[in-house]
Amino acid sequence: QAHKEEDNPEKTMEVNGLPSVPDSYDYDLIVIGGGSGGLAAAKEAAKYEKKVMVLDFVTPTPQGSSWGLGGTCVNVGCIPKKLMHQAALLGQALQDSRKFGWQFTEEVKHNWMTMTESVQNYIGSLNWGYRVALRDKKVTYENAYGEFVGPHTIKATNKKGVEKLYTAERFIIATGERPRYLGVPGDKEHCISSDDLFSLPYCPGKTLVVGASYVALECAGFLAGLGLDVTVMVRSILLRGFDQDMANRIGEYMNEHGVNFIREFVPIKVEQVEEGTPGKLKVTAKSTTGNQIIEGEYNTVLLAIGRDPCTRKIGLDRVGVNINEKTGKIPVNDEEQTNVPYIYAIGDILQDKLELTPVAIQAGRLLVQRLYAGATTKCDYVNVPTTVFTPLEYGACGYSEETAVEKFGEENIEVYHSHFWPLEWTVPSRDNNKCYAKIICNIQDNERVIGFHVLGPNAGEVTQGFAAAIKCGLTKEQLDGTVGIHPVCAEV
Amino acid sequence: MAQRLALQRLLSLPSRGPLASQSRAFGTSACRRSTFNVQDGSDFQDRVLNSSKPVVVDFHAQWCGPCKILGPRLEKMVAKQEGKVLMAKVDIDDHTDLAIEYEVSAVPTVLAMKNGDVVDKFVGIKDEDQLEAFLKKLIGA
Repeated sequence: QAHKEEDNPEKTMEVNGLPSVPDSYDYDLIVIGGGSGGLAAAKEAAKYEKKVMVLDFVTPTPQGSSWGLGGTCVNVGCIPKKLMHQAALLGQALQDSRKFGWQFTEEVKHNWMTMTESVQNYIGSLNWGYRVALRDKKVTYENAYGEFVGPHTIKATNKKGVEKLYTAERFIIATGERPRYLGVPGDKEHCISSDDLFSLPYCPGKTLVVGASYVALECAGFLAGLGLDVTVMVRSILLRGFDQDMANRIGEYMNEHGVNFIREFVPIKVEQVEEGTPGKLKVTAKSTTGNQIIEGEYNTVLLAIGRDPCTRKIGLDRVGVNINEKTGKIPVNDEEQTNVPYIYAIGDILQDKLELTPVAIQAGRLLVQRLYAGATTKCDYVNVPTTVFTPLEYGACGYSEETAVEKFGEENIEVYHSHFWPLEWTVPSRDNNKCYAKIICNIQDNERVIGFHVLGPNAGEVTQGFAAAIKCGLTKEQLDGTVGIHPVCAEV
Repeated sequence: MAQRLALQRLLSLPSRGPLASQSRAFGTSACRRSTFNVQDGSDFQDRVLNSSKPVVVDFHAQWCGPCKILGPRLEKMVAKQEGKVLMAKVDIDDHTDLAIEYEVSAVPTVLAMKNGDVVDKFVGIKDEDQLEAFLKKLIGA
């Protein structure tokens, strides 16, 4: 173990009444969590010649699933999700293609294993790529579970149970989240989560998706697109936190295209009727508005009811880091610093911040630049664009209509909206009144565009450019003055 | 990559039949003696570094398409050399330390080793003639 060259005089003041602090540290920075935020921060710190270590460990799911370096996004989030969404879109494209003159006589079927293997192969290459990148940048990586045991000190336990202690001048917590379970009989034994879905070694078959988050709707969406019988069980509203008008349009579209919805029910019991891959499960659910009980049989039950931060078992109490006891999230100041000055946090675990990969990466990089390169730029959490990859994609940047009304008053905002019919949908006679776009403008501020929402194909690609424009202070007049590209959806 | 899927491959469940049997198709006795999977660091020490014969080390991964083409091809050419050269296969996800020690970035990476030293190497796919030349150079030199 090499020791740090110089002592840091600040350390004696950070003690918080805890016992003595080591004189010199093994590392300048230890990052706990090798996901989007953690890796970005670690690689950035190595650029400034800092001695950095990354600890990453995946506790297997109740079903036994686990994965390699890279975090949620790479392994069980954005990447496999988008690839499977693409698989579903291709299925639709194949159907449309007949109207465009393509002739094929075979029936088009989908093979779950072929898709899953291809997706997992790609993820495997990413896992390896990250390991190589860390090695090239001379960042030490340990596949071990990190927890604080004392000031500036962390214990790393690998999967064989071997424990090692490390010290560092500073820490960044980037442990991310894991799916929440229902807390009803049979949930952990029989249900799967998104952590299991993308590497499921058998086709899920008839699936019940519990939840109405974007995870639930995206998964339900592509599963249905692959030809499976999908039902979504919703406790109350769809896509909480998103513009509700857009959320309902998404739900309607999915409903009209083969996804069943059971509204205002929650599962109270899951039992196994038959073993198998997949087996058969019986789900008992109770109404949220009355005493009605219903039952249903499915091959697979996918829980997508929320995610909880991995902050409860990493020894934060031993170093005095405050967390929100109810949610597990960590409150930080606008420099991502926790209440303990040498401990920082980034990514999904932060309280009141957006849970998105690019946000974590940006926050991680800027934080490290402030720590080691004398920069002062803070992460801007405002006007962050996002996209939900439901069968009809939804891109958004800025305020939802409800939040805009609440903040500025209904009389001070103007909403411009329009349905549109993508040219590519005309020939195959697809819906002509589902795609929709709206912008929300602040009348008092020169009709500045404060909210952008689009529902249609390639919503993510469309939204990215508008997000940059909004960041520059786009006004309605400027938007009107911009000539459209024809024929594309974005011109609307 | 996700562990459950990797495990299924190892167990060679029926759905993976065709591909799983591909690498075992070359079941000639000569081939089996000259090609082996490295089990761990000390196995590598014994059978590669301390080998009296030259060894080609094939670093590969489950998720790597080109590896699945190069592997059998290399095994076939090694078998043709009638025991003058051995072949060690290393799965970089199972033996990451070894892969890192030999600075493997991309796969497939093949090292030619003699008396514990790396005397030659290539990355990516090669055709049979190129492989033959590579092996002959290793044996001859």
